[in-house]
Amino acid sequence: MEEYPLVDRAVAKDVAAFGALARLHQSNVRGLLLRLTKGNHAAADDLAQETFLEAWRGIGNFRGDSAFATWLYRIAYSRFLMAARRRKPDEQLGEWQGEAPSGAAATHARIDLERAFAQLSPPESAALTLCFALGLSNTQAADALGLPLGTLKSHILRGREKLKAILGDQP
Amino acid sequence: MMTDTDLDALLAAPLPERDAGAFSVLLLERIAHDQARPARILSWVTVGILAVVIAAAAVFGAGARTAFDAGVMTVPAILTLLTLVLSYAVARSARE
Repeated sequence: MEEYPLVDRAVAKDVAAFGALARLHQSNVRGLLLRLTKGNHAAADDLAQETFLEAWRGIGNFRGDSAFATWLYRIAYSRFLMAARRRKPDEQLGEWQGEAPSGAAATHARIDLERAFAQLSPPESAALTLCFALGLSNTQAADALGLPLGTLKSHILRGREKLKAILGDQP
Repeated sequence: MMTDTDLDALLAAPLPERDAGAFSVLLLERIAHDQARPARILSWVTVGILAVVIAAAAVFGAGARTAFDAGVMTVPAILTLLTLVLSYAVARSARE
């Protein structure tokens, strides 16, 4: 589906167009937040709802300087950071809490990867997810995370090294 | 030992597809609720003003009952009219 006409209509406060955009992007936004919340589906979906609601409220300010998806990821990441700051120490997300993926995607490697992601810091996890699984360029990912390009590259390198070490230790 | 190529392949795998159904329905409900917010605020403000007007009408009404005067009746009449206008505004906000 062509996205630009939908974005234009959504900027003009067309709910149906915004709903169509939300359906297009919800899976990726929820997937990113699921990784950041270490597999907590309820927390990830709550944050995703807040992300889209904030996007709806602020859609009038969307100028198209970045892709619509990048703009959504930026809101999602800042929502996640705000929620993480509000969380009490005993409510902090620790280990991977999700269930194993089912069906064709249910490979051991995939499950191990998600568990390994749970041991990364939020910027590392977000940077790797945006650049690899969601296909953003480094510049777009840096924009989405509000980080300088060099810092983003450091997070990617550190995250990769950690993942290699964690997954390399697995039997 | 995991190689860079193995890791790249794992990382590049797309995230599992999530069903949009219930999520989109809930989102549109929240948006509708959000859109109705200014009307809700307006209706509460109007209800507040309405309560003040009714109280003032009661005070003037009580005064007019003890000493009837056509001039005194003007104020309660205006307040009654205001009450009707505000009631209409509240009813309209509630419908929105």
